[in-house]
Amino acid sequence: MSKKQCVAMLLAGGQGSRLGILTKKVAKPAVPFGGKYRIIDFPLSNCTNSGIDVVGVLTQYRPLELNAYIGSGSPWDLDLSNGGVYVLPPYQTGKTGEWYKGTANAIYQNIPFIEQWDPEYVLVLSGDHIYKMDYNAMLRAHIEKGADLTIAVREVPWEDASRFGLLNTDENNRITEFEEKPAHPKSNKASMGVYIFTWDKMRKYLELDEAKPDSQNDFGKNIIPEMLEAGENLFTYTFDGYWKDVGTIESLWESNMDLLTLPMPIDLSDKRWRIFARNPGMPPHYIADGAKVDGSLITEGCEVKGVVKHSVLFAGVTVETGAEVTDAVVMPGAVIERGAIVKRAIVAENAHIAAGAVVGEDTGNIAVVGPGAKIAAGEKVAAGVQVDADLQ
Amino acid sequence: MKDVMGLIYTGENDIHLGELTSQRAVAAMPIAGRYRVIDFQLSSMVHTGIKNVGIIAQKNYSSLMDHVGSGREWDLHGKQGMVILPPYLTRDNMGVYSGLLDALKSNTNFLQRSKQEYVVLTNSHTIYNVDFTDAIRSHVDHGADITLLYNKGEKAASQGEHDIYFSVDENSLITGMEIGAVQPNCDCAAMKIYIVRRELLRQLVEQGAANGLHDFERDILQRAVNEGNLRLYGYEYKGIAWQIDSIQSYFNFNMALLDSGFRRQLFPSERPIYTKVRDDMPARYVEESECSNSLIANGCVIEGRVENSILFRGVHVAKGAVVKNSIVMQDAHIQEGAEIDHCILDKQSVIRRNGRLIAPAAYPIVIAKNVVI
Repeated sequence: MSKKQCVAMLLAGGQGSRLGILTKKVAKPAVPFGGKYRIIDFPLSNCTNSGIDVVGVLTQYRPLELNAYIGSGSPWDLDLSNGGVYVLPPYQTGKTGEWYKGTANAIYQNIPFIEQWDPEYVLVLSGDHIYKMDYNAMLRAHIEKGADLTIAVREVPWEDASRFGLLNTDENNRITEFEEKPAHPKSNKASMGVYIFTWDKMRKYLELDEAKPDSQNDFGKNIIPEMLEAGENLFTYTFDGYWKDVGTIESLWESNMDLLTLPMPIDLSDKRWRIFARNPGMPPHYIADGAKVDGSLITEGCEVKGVVKHSVLFAGVTVETGAEVTDAVVMPGAVIERGAIVKRAIVAENAHIAAGAVVGEDTGNIAVVGPGAKIAAGEKVAAGVQVDADLQ
Repeated sequence: MKDVMGLIYTGENDIHLGELTSQRAVAAMPIAGRYRVIDFQLSSMVHTGIKNVGIIAQKNYSSLMDHVGSGREWDLHGKQGMVILPPYLTRDNMGVYSGLLDALKSNTNFLQRSKQEYVVLTNSHTIYNVDFTDAIRSHVDHGADITLLYNKGEKAASQGEHDIYFSVDENSLITGMEIGAVQPNCDCAAMKIYIVRRELLRQLVEQGAANGLHDFERDILQRAVNEGNLRLYGYEYKGIAWQIDSIQSYFNFNMALLDSGFRRQLFPSERPIYTKVRDDMPARYVEESECSNSLIANGCVIEGRVENSILFRGVHVAKGAVVKNSIVMQDAHIQEGAEIDHCILDKQSVIRRNGRLIAPAAYPIVIAKNVVI
């Protein structure tokens, strides 16, 4: 293994329980997004486009689908002899062996992985955000400032600020204080959960933290406050592009809907910053005579005979004659039969909506039909309801 | 199918494809909205379990090489994998093949080096999605020297021009062969896909070359049928096998894909056709766009009206533009208010604002790559 300047570690172990039925069987980063992607395609593609070619993916919860999706890493050009993408599950050591106890502990357990590359910097990412970001520009800022830790931030509207982890800084963007969801915000700089550490400092604080039995081994709760207290150099790096946390059903739906506004708030057609994804190899989609498609994104392999308005259709979705899909996200392989109505809803992979069924309502929360679930002919799924295939 | 290798000959006559093949081999022609012709032959071989595939290149092969790359998309990038066999010059090899036999002669080294017992040898202008396993079994069961795949009757007649016809007896033994007949008497149209023992193919090629022969079909196959010194069998393939040998057959094939039954037959979910991935976003339809009876690939932006057409990846149909009965290749742009009917637009071509290009149904207009009208 030859030396790498910067190695990325992607935290992909969380369940993402707020996504309910959608993450019952898959880890959050493997959730489909935007017609042909999965959430993890965004940080992975950002790494490739930023020239970072070692990515450790830390998995823990339901890793099967995520592992299969990442595979050799070839869709992101991360199948390399010297570098590439590595899936890093927790492992046993001698008599002990443990799950990742927290975000910091997950990195701590993989110190030997990082050391193989003898890096100067480590980039920490999470697998639950949709954004296009040049990590290399952030790394340059980190180096220029001589920082020990740089935290990417977004300036959020002041009225929303108290929902975020906020960083108070001086005029040089040096971090003076970290506050988790304060009632009276002193800053509107919200952490994006993207960190660049100088490796020797990171290693020192990971080891210090691990030695504390009562620590939660978390970057936000433990490592960052500890480094601040010790007077290390912590800086913010402001990112002003599109960024969305897709950790809830509502935000996942909204973020998909964002792709339908013009101009797109996050340009997925930019050839200089492509978002790569594993391709299912389906023929072009077919729009039949009498079909109507308006303001939507449609992916290869779909067959549309009904009406699709302001919706995102993933690969291989069927919309039969007389069916109406509006303001909906329909994931791979789902079938919407004749005369069924889907409105303000997420229909998950391989779900089946039988003839004349109605999913979702004009207002209220988003209805969700879980992976593989079947809605019988004429059945109704109210706003905010989640249908679980296992309970059917 | 560890014991079978594949050979794809891409040097066929492409004169009737005009502009479409001036810069590329037939094998590299864009087809069916997101594929190249060779994707069908390669994917069929891969789904048969073949791991060692040689692609005999002849002319205009740079776009072919660019497309297949290392063979990764077809899982042919392994230790055996896929080999491109370009023409080369030596004292007794002119680099220009005068036919399949000539091409094979130049590549007997590859045949010799390979280890498999059998070869599936195919042309590169027939579109099919075949699992060859059954045909290979039939070859072995009959104790055939060479097995020729064929289409019959109506099916053959509707799928492009054929120049080799043969007749078979009740045991599928080939009893007569006609090449280039104006009114063929035989009813089995050859798909130009052959199954043969590797060692036998090598011997036939070397003997043929020693005798100054050039034409595999006339000098080897037809002669063998007439003289009865080899046992040639036919294997009827009942699925789609479309010859892409003229602009009309190219156009008709693409249009046939608008039929969902035809499409399902060619693209069964268990045997996907692999191709080079482009990482385009899904196709975007803006409000007020209209689209009917059309195949649309990823990366397209539809603002105008599209009817009975096939749009490849990254095509832009601007507001007020109309695309009817047409095939529009990658990244072409039909600007505002322009209208095309019965056209084939090659890659990156542009129809300027309010331009009109209406061709008769019987003779589609071809607009070459990068041309702006």
